[in-house]
Amino acid sequence: MSKRKRPDSNAPSDSLTDHERLIYDVIRSNKQDMGIWTRDMKRELKVNLPDNIVTKSIKSLQNKSLIKEVVNIHNKGKKHLMAVEFEPSKDISGGAWYSEGSLDTEFIKVVKSQCLKQIIKLKVATLEGISDSIKRSGAFKVDLTKQQIEEIVRAVVLDNQIMEVKSNGSGEFTNIPVGKVCYKNVSKGGGGGEPKTGSSASVPCGVCPQINFCTPDGVISPKTCVYYTKWLDF
Amino acid sequence: MLTEYGTKHAVHVITNHFGDLVAKVCECLLRKGPLTRQNVKRYTELSDEQVKNALLVLIQQNCVQAFTTEQPDGFADGPKANTQYVVLFDNILHRVRFAKFLTILSQEFDQQCVELVQGLLEHGRLTLKQMFDRAKSSEKEGNLVDLDSLRETLVKLVTAHYVERCPASEPLLMPISEEEGPARKKGSKSAKKIGEPETIEQQVVEAALPMEAMRFSVVTNVESDVGEKEKNSNNVTPGEKRKHDVLELDECGVADEQSVVYRANFEGFIRRLRHKGCIDHVRAHLDDGAANVLSAMLQATSSAEKKVKTKNSVPLSLSSIYEEVIKSEAGRNMTLDHVRASLVQLGELSFVDASSDSYSIDFEKIIEIAQNEEVESVVSKRYGRDAYRIFRLLSKSGRLLETDKISDTTFVEKKDAPKILYKLWKDGYLLMEKLVVTGARQSQFLLWKVNRQILWKHVLDEMFHAALNLSLRVSYELDREKELLNLPADKRTGPLQDRYNRIRKVRILLESSQMKLDDAILLFHDF
Repeated sequence: MSKRKRPDSNAPSDSLTDHERLIYDVIRSNKQDMGIWTRDMKRELKVNLPDNIVTKSIKSLQNKSLIKEVVNIHNKGKKHLMAVEFEPSKDISGGAWYSEGSLDTEFIKVVKSQCLKQIIKLKVATLEGISDSIKRSGAFKVDLTKQQIEEIVRAVVLDNQIMEVKSNGSGEFTNIPVGKVCYKNVSKGGGGGEPKTGSSASVPCGVCPQINFCTPDGVISPKTCVYYTKWLDF
Repeated sequence: MLTEYGTKHAVHVITNHFGDLVAKVCECLLRKGPLTRQNVKRYTELSDEQVKNALLVLIQQNCVQAFTTEQPDGFADGPKANTQYVVLFDNILHRVRFAKFLTILSQEFDQQCVELVQGLLEHGRLTLKQMFDRAKSSEKEGNLVDLDSLRETLVKLVTAHYVERCPASEPLLMPISEEEGPARKKGSKSAKKIGEPETIEQQVVEAALPMEAMRFSVVTNVESDVGEKEKNSNNVTPGEKRKHDVLELDECGVADEQSVVYRANFEGFIRRLRHKGCIDHVRAHLDDGAANVLSAMLQATSSAEKKVKTKNSVPLSLSSIYEEVIKSEAGRNMTLDHVRASLVQLGELSFVDASSDSYSIDFEKIIEIAQNEEVESVVSKRYGRDAYRIFRLLSKSGRLLETDKISDTTFVEKKDAPKILYKLWKDGYLLMEKLVVTGARQSQFLLWKVNRQILWKHVLDEMFHAALNLSLRVSYELDREKELLNLPADKRTGPLQDRYNRIRKVRILLESSQMKLDDAILLFHDF
């Protein structure tokens, strides 16, 4: 994951053509970490440049490592241009968990797995405990912030792999202040991350996407149902 | 207010058990609410005799209760009593659970008890004489039935509240005045929460119930009554007096045996199933130790429960719980520390409330968690893991959340979250609100929420729909293979045997699924 430090804003630029200079100035002068949509940038140019010139200039600026393209996660079709020295804002890039406009699912999976591992190891863990434990394990090249750990831990709670409890100060909660939020592994219920199949979900109708169209004597009915036929195919 | 598939499912059960005619009358009452016999006749277009017979069957089988209301007729004669009939929807649902009730009995009582209740479930209601006649007709050699032992069996079952005296045939339902409304509801044991209006069904059932002491009593003490009268008598020779009194009391006793009608007390069985459900849930979440502790607490406190949907058990001390735990075979090896540790585990999940060294089961919490898991399982299997996380977030938060906030917290792609949310909303699992913000530019935000009350009703309707479908499919499959099933075993060769094996497996799977789905219906409707 890219974690480049923010450089100062007076980075020298190489010699640029007039067109390139024009475009570069528009890009740089916009909200620095939001960048500017290509089409908006064309509108802001004081002179009307033909498209092929604009495209060529953008490419040249990119090759000279002066600007970069950032995908807008709200609309992947909208590419934003910004000066290389700036980190795209979370509103555009999606934040730490996004990479090139999509969720970095592999990275998220790895962090989730590490958090779960530390919680299982510690048996009962606070956010600080999990964060310290991950840091000590050296599992990641960069330090994850407490907020990032918290976001991931909350997602693992939603996956029903861990549960949130409050310390009562005694037993396994000794050394944790009373009332402090902690996390424990879910002992049985969500085994392996898959929720236990309920009674309703164990019959075809319980999980049928067509249930609202199904009627006793309709085109979709229990007598004609293909899901039933498959289920009863002994 | 009954849901559409709740009604369809109930009608289907009645059709299967009693035929189309009775089902037509039942459906009329389910859809129209309480009606007089005249109005039932009008809506069903059946003859008076047909309506009467259908109602008699439904009343006999405890699926309908008659009641009267006073109708001021505006003339000098005064108010007129008006008999109406209300369907007992819960009792119709219980009809598919008879096997579960009998299983409970077989675990706690002997075979004679099970057979007695079997008779009550089959016939709806019986006097002691009718129970005796029934037992006699199926008597086996070497296993003779006598009235006294049957009466003892009945007493056992009535004391355990599995059997009760039948309610009044036509109780008078007083109209609730507007001022009286909430105050009356407060004391009602059938209202789910204070202030929640009672349905007519609930009011009628309550009005019909005999007083507690009467409801669970059996006339038994003939000999001691005879003794009392003898002491008081001076003038008549003892032998003659005794003979006279015994005859008199015999007549009363015989009259009671022939007139007092009993039926299975569904409440007693449902309470037991609720306990069992809670124990199973705890076992699935924790371990056998915790389940044993919960079971012991239930054993010690269940007689104090006033109604099926009790919120909390009576508080018990650790020592009382331990004493109860070690009574059972399963709990004999548990130490006091082990019991204490299990109580801590139960407390962490809020299944048990601990305060001032006493412990009380929080039934509502256990059932709430079980219900959440049931719905989450459906969401996960039907809509996928991302939807599962989204649903859990909204369910836990209990308030409106905006689309982006949801996608950020659940790590669902920004482009996917709206599609999933929309699908859940379209299928009735979420509520949606639009928020328009006017500023430099007008922006529209979509907010989403889980409304438990609305959703639970929807989920229950889906379960009724699934229950109906299972039943229809069983009938369809068995009907398809009707001839094969009637074929003698020696004629079933080759492919016929394969088909026979298939239909056997199909029947087992469908019928066991019906029972399993009924557990979910119990969880949402009865517990």
